[in-house]
Amino acid sequence: MIALMNVTKSFGKTVAVDDLSLRIEPGEIFGLLGPNGAGKSTSINMTVGLLNPDKGRIAIGDGGSPHDPAVREQLGIAPQALALYDELTAMENLRFFGKIQKMPSGVLKDRVPELLCKIGLWDRRNDRIKTYSGGMKRRLNLAVALIHHPRIVLLDEPTAGVDPQSRHALFESIGELRRDGVTVLLTTHYMEEAEKLSSRVGIMDKGRLLALGRVSDLIASHGGKSRLYAQRADREFFLETDDPMAELVGLQAGGTLLQFKVESPDLEHVFLNLTGRNLRD
Amino acid sequence: MNAILAIAHKDLKLLLRDKTGFFFTFFFPIIIAVFFGSIFSDNGGKPVGLHVMIVDNDQSVASEAFIAQLEASDEVSVQRSLKEEAVERVRLGKEVAYIEIKKGFGDAQERMFWGAPPEIELGIDPARRGTAGMLQGILMKYGVNAFQKRFSDPSLMRRSIQDSLDGIQSGSTMDDSRREHLTGFLTELDAYLDQPTPNVDGTGSGNGGFGGMNPLVVTARDVALEKRGPQSGYAISFPQGIMWGIIGCAASFGVSLVIERTRGTLMRLRTAPIDQLHILGGKALACFVTTCVLAAGTLGIAMLFFGIRPNSLVLLGISIISISFEFVGIMMLLSVLGRTERSAAGIGWAVLMMMSMIGGGMLPLFIMPEWMQTVSDISPVKWAMIAMEGSIWRQFSLNELLVPWMVLWGIGSVGFLSGVWMFRRSRSE
Ligand SMILES: Nc1ncnc2c1ncn2[C@@H]1O[C@H](COP(=O)(O)OP(=O)(O)OP(=O)(O)O)[C@@H](O)[C@H]1O
Ligand SMILES: [Mg+2]
Repeated sequence: MIALMNVTKSFGKTVAVDDLSLRIEPGEIFGLLGPNGAGKSTSINMTVGLLNPDKGRIAIGDGGSPHDPAVREQLGIAPQALALYDELTAMENLRFFGKIQKMPSGVLKDRVPELLCKIGLWDRRNDRIKTYSGGMKRRLNLAVALIHHPRIVLLDEPTAGVDPQSRHALFESIGELRRDGVTVLLTTHYMEEAEKLSSRVGIMDKGRLLALGRVSDLIASHGGKSRLYAQRADREFFLETDDPMAELVGLQAGGTLLQFKVESPDLEHVFLNLTGRNLRD
Repeated sequence: MNAILAIAHKDLKLLLRDKTGFFFTFFFPIIIAVFFGSIFSDNGGKPVGLHVMIVDNDQSVASEAFIAQLEASDEVSVQRSLKEEAVERVRLGKEVAYIEIKKGFGDAQERMFWGAPPEIELGIDPARRGTAGMLQGILMKYGVNAFQKRFSDPSLMRRSIQDSLDGIQSGSTMDDSRREHLTGFLTELDAYLDQPTPNVDGTGSGNGGFGGMNPLVVTARDVALEKRGPQSGYAISFPQGIMWGIIGCAASFGVSLVIERTRGTLMRLRTAPIDQLHILGGKALACFVTTCVLAAGTLGIAMLFFGIRPNSLVLLGISIISISFEFVGIMMLLSVLGRTERSAAGIGWAVLMMMSMIGGGMLPLFIMPEWMQTVSDISPVKWAMIAMEGSIWRQFSLNELLVPWMVLWGIGSVGFLSGVWMFRRSRSE
């Protein structure tokens, strides 16, 4: 369980996070969606205790503070900036961070190869990671967060700069976390990612939480109408509608449809409707 | 504790992986030490053995022959020089002793039976009694050799007798009865030598005494060794090289903490379930181990190959540990002061260079003008240099070393505590 209660954080005049309240239930995968500078990383950093909020309170697990070592033991974090030692190999990085998480050497001996296989880096395990591609580092960055089987995982932009294949591998890993009942808070500015991975999302902009809820609910309430394009022998149609199927049936009744396209609303539209701007400019 | 060890182990591994860093940490100090040491050491840094300076103030055939004998011997090796230089070098401990062949040495050797004997001055530190005795023995041996040669060569002997007879007749410093005896004896001797004598062997037995005749007088002159002078250029340059190595070490470990900050790995360490102090502790331990290994290794080379003989290995060991502690503390402070790699490296080098410049890390302290030596009290490098030199060649006693040690531990503690304080504070910004 992660709870942020009326949390505010400013850097000088910039209000990075403005009165944010969130509650993430155990076993839930929660996506924080927002454009650059929305305050996602700042929220994550406060959640793990790297930054102290100016106002508000943060509780983790059974209401513990992130400064409490017992609470930290349950936390796994994959920072937005790849936090790895370039001059060490994948194996050494994992082993080092495992030790820092107080894992016994005996346990690490099995856990490290297991993770390396899972993220597809077993063959490269003895190469220094400065020779890795961005996607490979990203995968290792996630593996480091998971080394000690944390119950709560925070992933800041886990798929930034990653090709579709690596992205797929990362999605798989996160899917496994869901199955294992791990609580996940992830940030992203890819709405597909938020839709696919999260049970609930929060949409953030300029430090404020604009909307919060299940993806389908958000789309229903803020996504607007579906767009329908259809072509008949006599004419073409562009429609916005809540019920594209009913519209199509109606159009078909007036003559044979040559082709049609339905564009259902997604989180992109939700964001556009909430802010008047696109998620990515 | 495990976290500290894990972090220290990781940092040492990173240091070893970085080839340039490794080179600058471990080899650069030695290169500096050898380079500057060879510039300042005229004796090429050879351990000072029975190597003596020789001053020829007689410039005669006899003095030349005497020097040639010494040169040919394997008991001493000699180097010609002028008197002032010889005295100075002995005083500074760069040479063991000097031998001055006094003016009139050749003439005195010729006349043999009267007048002042040939004279040699031996300049040596009175504390080196053993060496002085040995040198005196060697000199007497060669002096006697020359004397014996005359006895074994009739023509040389007869010339000496003739000279002596002339001298005795004209000289007035001798009382009449002695003159009479000597004249009689020498005339007889001359007549005896005039007969062909086969097989005169000067090296035969029974040459122990020469009656009242003195083959050589060695006057000892005390040249008190300036106690606190370095043995050689290397005794100055190695501490400086080590100092540079330790400074470089402190700077690079300081920057490494900043790199962890900017690369994000510090974030991982800070969110780990370990005491925040362990993060600094691990770094400090790695830095401490590196500086100790660096200092010990460099000193080992100095002792093995460059004739550096520390006064006391125990005191030197404590000095090195204290110096390492001091610079680990300074490193802590510098590492939390810098926000970016550039600023940390910049601040680090500027501060450490200044300290080094005024603290004797570049220019030896004892060369500095008086006022500068006073000003340099504020430099942590100075106290490190004093501790190191004090236990390498300044012959400091335990008591004398206590002050620099305490300063080193004081500076180290202040650096460490303020570093920790700032590190803790930096979390809650
Ligand atoms: N250490 C800092 N000092 C000053 N300003 C900061 C700092 N960290 C964040 N900010 C500011 O706070 C705001 C939120 O930044 P944050 O990094 O949380 O955004 P984000 O949502 O993670 O963006 P991105 O998608 O680009 O990662 C930005 O305006 C940023 O400039
Ligand atoms: Mg971010």
